[in-house]
Order: sequence, then C-alpha cells, then structure tokens
Amino acid sequence: MIKFYLLSVMLISNSIFSILEIEILKGSDNLSKIAFVPFGVEDGVEEDYGMQISQYIEKNMLLFGEFENLDKSEMLSFPSSENEFFYRDWKVLGVDYSVIGRVNSVNVLGNLNISYSLFNITRRIKILEGEIVGSEDNIENISKIISNRIYEQITGLRGIFDTKLAYVINSDTDTYQICISDIDGKNEQILFTSKAPIMSPDWSPDRKKIAYVSFENGLAEIFIQDLKSGKRESVQALGMTNSAPVWSPDGKSLALVVSFSGNPDVFLYSISNKRLIRLTNHYGIDTEPSWSPDSKKIIFTSDRSGSPQLYEINTKSKRKKRLTRDGNYNARGRYFPDGKSIFFVHGNDGNFQIARKKLSSRYIETLTSTSLDESPTISPNGNIIIYATKDGLNGYLGGITLDGKARFSLPVKNGSVREPAWSPLIN
Amino acid sequence: MRRLFMEPIGIFILAMLCQVYSCASNVSDSVERIQYASVAGEEYLQGDKLDTNLDDKVYFDFDKSTLDAEDKNLLEQYLPAIKKAKIVRLEGHCDERGTREYNLALGERRALEVRDFLVVKGVSGKKIRVVSFGEEKPLKSASNEKAWAENRRVEISLY
Amino acid sequence: MNRALTSLNTLLLILLFLSLIFSIFSIPKLDIDEKQSIRVNFYELIQEDDQLFNSSIPDLGMKKETKSFSSNSKEQKAVETAIFSKFKINKTDIKNEISKIKLSMERDDILRVSAIIQERISSVWIKPNSLSESLVAKVLINLAPSGEILDFDLIEPSSNNFFNESILTAMNKMTFFEEVLSLDRKLFEQNFRNFNLVFKSSGEIE
Repeated sequence: MIKFYLLSVMLISNSIFSILEIEILKGSDNLSKIAFVPFGVEDGVEEDYGMQISQYIEKNMLLFGEFENLDKSEMLSFPSSENEFFYRDWKVLGVDYSVIGRVNSVNVLGNLNISYSLFNITRRIKILEGEIVGSEDNIENISKIISNRIYEQITGLRGIFDTKLAYVINSDTDTYQICISDIDGKNEQILFTSKAPIMSPDWSPDRKKIAYVSFENGLAEIFIQDLKSGKRESVQALGMTNSAPVWSPDGKSLALVVSFSGNPDVFLYSISNKRLIRLTNHYGIDTEPSWSPDSKKIIFTSDRSGSPQLYEINTKSKRKKRLTRDGNYNARGRYFPDGKSIFFVHGNDGNFQIARKKLSSRYIETLTSTSLDESPTISPNGNIIIYATKDGLNGYLGGITLDGKARFSLPVKNGSVREPAWSPLIN
Repeated sequence: MRRLFMEPIGIFILAMLCQVYSCASNVSDSVERIQYASVAGEEYLQGDKLDTNLDDKVYFDFDKSTLDAEDKNLLEQYLPAIKKAKIVRLEGHCDERGTREYNLALGERRALEVRDFLVVKGVSGKKIRVVSFGEEKPLKSASNEKAWAENRRVEISLY
Repeated sequence: MNRALTSLNTLLLILLFLSLIFSIFSIPKLDIDEKQSIRVNFYELIQEDDQLFNSSIPDLGMKKETKSFSSNSKEQKAVETAIFSKFKINKTDIKNEISKIKLSMERDDILRVSAIIQERISSVWIKPNSLSESLVAKVLINLAPSGEILDFDLIEPSSNNFFNESILTAMNKMTFFEEVLSLDRKLFEQNFRNFNLVFKSSGEIE
C-alpha cells in the first residue's frame, strides 16, 4: 500500500522534468573479477618470488569474498610490464581488473624492488602504479601493503590486510585463552591462558594494549595487557564485579560496567588517575557500553523497559535516548565508523542475529542468517563484520560484507572461538 | 462531599509513602550487606562443601530472574542447613542465547534474587557470597531448549 | 474567530472545487505530442510485471481488451454506440477518454523499456559500498534508433571519484539498448533519443 502511494507521488511530482530520467539505485550482485598475473622476475632473482607475491596478493584480496579471481590456467598472456599488456587479452576473459608486476634485485643482501600496476580493463586505463623496496624474507608483509593499495584503488575504502583480530578460545579441557592473529588467521599469538573464563577483549586505539575480563580470581575482573611486554594490570580498583571494558577513541579512558551491590551501571574510568565517573544510574541492567567515533556519546544495553534495548547517552550532558524499539532483544550495540548507523545483536523469533540500523530510521535490517550470532566486530573501513556463531557444539567466526554480496567463515581453530575484536588500523 | 472524595486519596497517598519508605529502607539494608565472592583464598575455599541431599540448583525462564513457587519451596528446605553453614555461595548462570555481557549481568541478577529471598527468610547477608558467570560456564553445551533450560540456573553451595 | 474559520473553510472548498474542475478539463487535453517525463521506481514495477506474467487469466483478458481498442476500429465503434445509447454522453468526451487510454498505453511502453534499461545497467554496475555518503550522479545518453549508444556523458558527477568511476565502468560495458526497437519511432524520438540515467548510492531499496 505504501509502495503504491510512493509510486503515484513520484509520477505526479516528477512530471515537471522535460527529459526522461531513469533512476539506478540497485547495483549488480556480481563481483569484480580480477586477474592476478604472476609477477615477472629479473635475472638473478629467485624465480619463485614473482609467483609468491602475486599469490599472496590474490589470497588477501579474496579473503572476504569481495572479489572473484581469474584462474591462472585461463590466462592468455603473462605480462610483467605495461608494454607487454594488451587489454583485449583480458576483456575476452571477462576480467574487470588486472594486476601485474615485476621483482628486481637491488643488491646482493637480498633487497628487492617490487613494482606493480593495476589496470581497469573495461575503461582501458591504468589506475595504479607503485614500487616498494624490501627484503626477501618480508615478502608477505610487502604483499599486504600492495594488496591494501589495490583494494583502496578499486573500492575507495581503506585497505585492511595488515589489521589483526583478538578473540577468545575455549578448548574442551576447560582452558580459556585470549589470542591475537593476523586478519587471515596467521601468526596466532596467545596472550593469556586461564582455567577460568575470559571475556570481552577490546583493542586500545594505538593497537598496543588489550583490555579484557578474566575470572581468574573468582569473579569478573578487568585487566589491561601490554602486547609487547605481556605485562598485565588489573583495573580492580573498584572492589566489585566489573566487566565490558571498551577504550575511548583517544585511548585515555575506558567505558566499563561496575556492579555496586548488584546493580550494573555504566561508568567512565580514567586510566591515568584511576578515577571512576558514573554515567548511568538505574535499577535495571545497564551494560555493554561502546563509544561513538566522535567520543561524544556512548551506546549501551539496558533492560529498563523490561527487555534489553539499546540506548545512547551523551557523556557530557548525560542526556539519554532510546535507539531501538522493535523486537524484544536488541543488545551489544556498536557504532559504524561513520557514526551514522549502529550494528548489534537482534533477537527475532528465538533467533539471535546481527543487525544494523541507521540512527535516522526505525528500520532494523538483519544481516546474518544463523541463529546464535553474537559479538559482532567491524573492520576499520566499515565494510566487513566478523561475528561469533555456533555450529553444533563448536563456536566459529563468520563474516559478511555490508553490501550483502559475500559471506565467509574464518579458518576453524582447535576449540570454540568467540568474541572477535577487530584491531584499529596502524596510522 | 469534597472530604468524602479526598479521604480515600489521602489514605492511598499515605499508604504509598509507607510502602516506598519501607522498600527504600529494605533495599538500603540489603545493599550494604551484599558480599561478592572474590579473590582466591576466600573463606569458602578453606572448608569442604557441605552435603545437604538437596537439589543444589534453581532454574529460571529466558531473560528472567524471578523465582517461582517451586524454587521458593526448594530454598525453604535449605534454610536449616544454611543456618548451620558458615558461607553460602550463589553462582548465577545463563543460557548461550543473547549477548555475553548482558548475560553476565543477568546471571548476577538471578543470584541476587535468591540472595534476597534468603535474607527475607532470616539468613544473614554476611554469610552469602554472590558471583555470576553469565553464559561462560554452561552445564550442557548443546543448543536446544532442554540444554538451555538446564543452563539458566543459580547454583547453591554451602561451606 | 468562528467567522474567520468558516470563511477560510469556504475558500478552501471553493479552491478544491476549482481544482477538481480544472483537473477534469485538463487531463483529456494533455496532447500526446507533448514531451513526457516519467520517473518511477521501476524495480517495483518489474516485480508487479512478474506477477502479471506468472499468474492470471483475468490479466490476459485485460490485454485482449486493450488490444481490441487500438486495432479493431469496428469494435470500437460498436462500443462507442453502445455507450452512446445507454448513457447520454457527448462524443468529444469519449474521444478524450480514448486519448487518455492511448496516453496511458504509451506511458506503459515507456515504462516498460525504461525498466529493461534500468535492469540491464543495474546488472553491470558494481556499486561501491559507501554507506556514509548519499551520492547522486547523472549521465546523459545519446541513442541511435537502432539502440546503439552513440555517446554518453557524465553531465553531473558526484563528489566521490570512486562512485563516478564505477558508473563510467558500468557505462563502458553497455553498447546497445536494442529494447528501443520495439517502440514506435515517435515515442523513441521523444523519450529515448536523449535521456538521463540518475545513479544513486542509496535509496529506498533495501
């Protein structure tokens, strides 16, 4: 009915234009197809490096299912410089972009000069060209940098291939571990192991520390761990259960939950002077705080209306605003990097799924389709959400791109993986 | 006529005031005495767990922390044993559905509900230790109604 | 106060009445030669179309009816006289009615072709996922009667270069809109010789 109304309004209101206009709102569901041509190598450079680099780049670019690749066996030519490159060779294969490159030796110490180019086949133009000097044993990281540049050139979004993920693993033997790894699951590093539960990891904005909750002393207690030194420090200045720590965008304070005499409320905790400032004061449950990107507001979950719903509070004026009304379970909200939308866990007919909502609209859009989804975390470029879900008895991490085109799951670990936290970018 | 109107209202207001006052005093009373289970080396760890031959769990509905008649009945049976115990430990738990941090708070709410009931029945708040594990320590790890119902619990242990 | 309200009401009533009269007289007057511009949310139309195709014997009946109107003038006459004798309406009214129907049929033709063009561009446009910005860009297209794209121009680019690039890439993938071949030549010249595509980064479609 509403649709019909809209339709008629458009018909009438647009009759003033004198030329036919066709609106294009919907994009294709297809993915861009990219050809990753093995890089050429200069005489004297190990033959393998050329192949390795293009494979690393290919793996990175395909990691989140955002692109399609052209199989190497289908390629008609293997150009490594612009004068060997012919657009028609790629156009006939339905390729949208081609990546080529060349590895040159700089000196006998194993330093390499890697040059690369990216072509838009449809438009027949070169859209990126670059050069990196680095050592042989750093090929993987160099490939990440090249992948980031290619990604940025194609999508207009920041590349995220050098970001990291923190998560909690619970193995069968009732061991809890907090780990960090590269975003592709490689280079896993265990930060802390305990026989008691660990929860709620969160990165400091400078990527140097992680705050989390550990039950090692019998009750929920917040720790801050330095990644380089491994040193742990308890935020247990509070004497009661405390939980759900999240760093402020400036890294100077934490928003956290303290339960004085059984009533959880949201507080701000200054890391330098260990002072605690009360933010909410209600007999209901107030928990799961998170900062807006401009750090002016904090979103939190409260059951003050009778069911968990999301609210935001201005940290200065303490003015509160209810953000969700539809459904009887909307919890653990986080802002998108642009601050205009939020994503959260939405309970719907007994299913718990990841959903997003524009702050300006009431409409809740469900993003995932499994039934026990929780702890969503967003990529720093705002394009991908990774979340924890469960398949049978084991928890694993799933992911989606926000254009809805791609779904993926991260490699399975030994044990139940949960509570992913995406690191910020290194600036 | 006017007086006739005013009288019931006045009485009502007075009654409400009394209610609020008694509630408030009640709350502040119990607030002061809530003890959280805490650091290793706590009293309850020193003695052995007392055997009561009673079911040591009370169960809850999803996203709820209220006790039903059956739960209260069970807790009543505990009272003689509790009077003898030095420490009563109440451990709140949730099922896996919903978010972890919210469940942590909900588990605490459940343990406190049991605590409040015991305090009303005359148990000294000083004896009671409260802790919540949220959904972190399920009894059953399956994802079905039966497992969830068993996981939404407060575990009572006496020392 | 009351009096003022009453007079205001009367005024509004008169205005309403006038506009009603005006609309009755003006609709039939719409000349077919007048340049048309119609913007609709075609995605919905397509869906409705699909439903039409998928279901319905009554719809087929509808189509037959309209066909007979345009092609078979004998039948048309018969209908006319029938209406004549039954109700006493004058002939120009009926003429107006017919031109109205013709107009709506042409409108349907334009909508149909526009919807196909829209769908075809949508199928090649890889839209950048820019959630934060609400972007709009306009492309002017110049078509040959054969449907060949003679020229296109990004006449109103958006502020975002990646958005513009994605549109140019999509446009480069199109060479023909052969759908216009099904149109009456006059309709083509009026509507599809030059037309605009308005690309939007966000809209009501979810």
